[in-house]
Amino acid sequence: MTCLRPLSILFLVLLPSFAVAETRLPVLVPITGFLALEGASQRNGALLALKHANAGVTAEVLDTGATPEGAVTAFERAMSGGRPPAVVAPILGTQMLALLPLAEREKVPLITISGTAKITELDNKFVFRFFPGDEVVKLAQARYTVEKLGRKKPALLYQTTAYGQSGRQHLAEQFARLGAPLVFEEALAPTVKDVLPALIKAQAAGADVLILHLHAPSTALAISQARAQGIALPIVAGSAMHQPATADLLSPRDLSGVCAETAASPISGGSAEMAKFTQDYRKEFSSEPDAFAVAQYDGTTMLLAALKAGAKDAVQLRDYLARNPHQGLAMRYRSDGKGNMAHDAVIVCFDGKSRVPAIVERYAGTQ
Amino acid sequence: MLELIAQLSLNTLALAAAYALVALGFVLVINAVGAVNFAHGDLVVAGGFVAVLFGLQFDLPGIALVPLILLVTAALGIGLSLIAYFPLRRGPPVGIYVSTIAVGVMLQNALLNVFGPAPRRGPPLIDSPPLHLGGIALSTQALATIVAAGALVFGLHLLLERTQIGRQLRATAQDPLMAQSVGIDTRLTIALSFALATALAGAAGLLLAPLHFVTPHDGAALILKAYVATVIGGWGRLQGALMGALIVAAFEIVGATILSQPVAEALLYLVLLGTLWLKPEGLFGEASGRRA
Repeated sequence: MTCLRPLSILFLVLLPSFAVAETRLPVLVPITGFLALEGASQRNGALLALKHANAGVTAEVLDTGATPEGAVTAFERAMSGGRPPAVVAPILGTQMLALLPLAEREKVPLITISGTAKITELDNKFVFRFFPGDEVVKLAQARYTVEKLGRKKPALLYQTTAYGQSGRQHLAEQFARLGAPLVFEEALAPTVKDVLPALIKAQAAGADVLILHLHAPSTALAISQARAQGIALPIVAGSAMHQPATADLLSPRDLSGVCAETAASPISGGSAEMAKFTQDYRKEFSSEPDAFAVAQYDGTTMLLAALKAGAKDAVQLRDYLARNPHQGLAMRYRSDGKGNMAHDAVIVCFDGKSRVPAIVERYAGTQ
Repeated sequence: MLELIAQLSLNTLALAAAYALVALGFVLVINAVGAVNFAHGDLVVAGGFVAVLFGLQFDLPGIALVPLILLVTAALGIGLSLIAYFPLRRGPPVGIYVSTIAVGVMLQNALLNVFGPAPRRGPPLIDSPPLHLGGIALSTQALATIVAAGALVFGLHLLLERTQIGRQLRATAQDPLMAQSVGIDTRLTIALSFALATALAGAAGLLLAPLHFVTPHDGAALILKAYVATVIGGWGRLQGALMGALIVAAFEIVGATILSQPVAEALLYLVLLGTLWLKPEGLFGEASGRRA
């Protein structure tokens, strides 16, 4: 019996590390559909964080497509293999809204970068958003337009999706509060390829600046078609425009006079850590990183820090995320009690000579 | 106001020109085999991606790539007929519908794997800034699209109306058994119809890719536009396809400008329903139920 004691002690010592070695992290992201570009960035950010940490956590990547049903199916599939400590959840707001009750039922934290404001307004204790919400980035977008560019007649083009509706509400409120109410607004479905009618109407309404709150393809279409039409108004776009893949669709000439809000811009530099991240990302995925990749990298890194700190189940992990700050590559993250972890935003602008934007303004949050 | 009307007209015509190529290709296959090619939208997308590839490879303006795109996508069309039509031609038409859907899905996934999910921009037809005429900014892309599509439609008209091959194609479309009995190789003419249809689809992809970009998932929306244009214009009628394309483009540009994009889209489908209720044969005739 005495000879068994050392063995049992050894077993108890090895148990946590064994458990970590077996940890599985479902990464539920839209790799196909209209948000595939952002979904790929999100997946890559999570995978790079796991690779850098080398903590024995393995990713299980599942494509959610672009529908809520796709996300629910992927979630159920992820749960069928045993309950994971957390789930990397999709950037698409409508998918997040569908997943929230499931996460509460399963008591599994969702680590997401969805910008849709609503997802942290439903009193769900299992959602953690590592990308600044609309209340942060849309304020930055409106403030930069009015305070720095001095424009008072904004015209807004936004997407018909949940993401678009949420941003529209915040932008309309912020511009009105800043004494520059919208002179024109129109919703565009993600499938719309011809943005020209909306651009013509914005021009006819006397707009002195175009505000875009669109997904990446629609953002590039709007800018490309505006420039092809000779519309030279300054454009302050949503975070989709900071993505290198979006800028690749446009010529440097088209990008002249274009700015965008975002949480970070890895290719614009900033710190040695960010430069290393960018270098490793390029090597690993043969593409340029964007703010979504950094945000998901930071979120996954905090998740790994929680596991390392001894969080043994999903509830402990949730409590760690809710109570502790985390210094990431993009910013310092801390929950506001609702699951909003990111509270800073930056504005980047293109100079018309290259596709690499420069950070021109920082808006620090209050958390 | 004059500027607005000029811009709207130009852009409507440019969009209609590209859609006309899509719809004409769609109708050519309907006429040749009496069944819908549900891979047609994905073939337009394939044309767009071939343009992206050639644009990177040869560093030429899009307009110079038209012959190459026509050749490559025509070959795709022959391949499509060999895979999705000929093995099933003696069975019910539903077999052809399903086989073309299958080919479309395979094509879409192949493009996704090769090019990735991000949108790609095709080479501009001509690389120049907008033309300014009397204060009106005219997009050179739009002008080039109209000219290129117009030349292709005129070329198709000449082929069908003035050549022996064209007569054989029309004869096969009208009555395949009679055509066969007078010595026309209907297998060859059907394969040629597929080649022509996909060549037009490929050209449409080339024209749309610089301004609308191209992603592997665009095919479904494009075939829907072709379907709507064909039903409104007249099932199986080439002139109808042209008129239908113009109507679809007018709703997308003029309708969306006067009203809004969601309202204009809803109205277009209302017109489609109205056509089915009141004039099911479409504007240029032929009963829609016969071949649908």
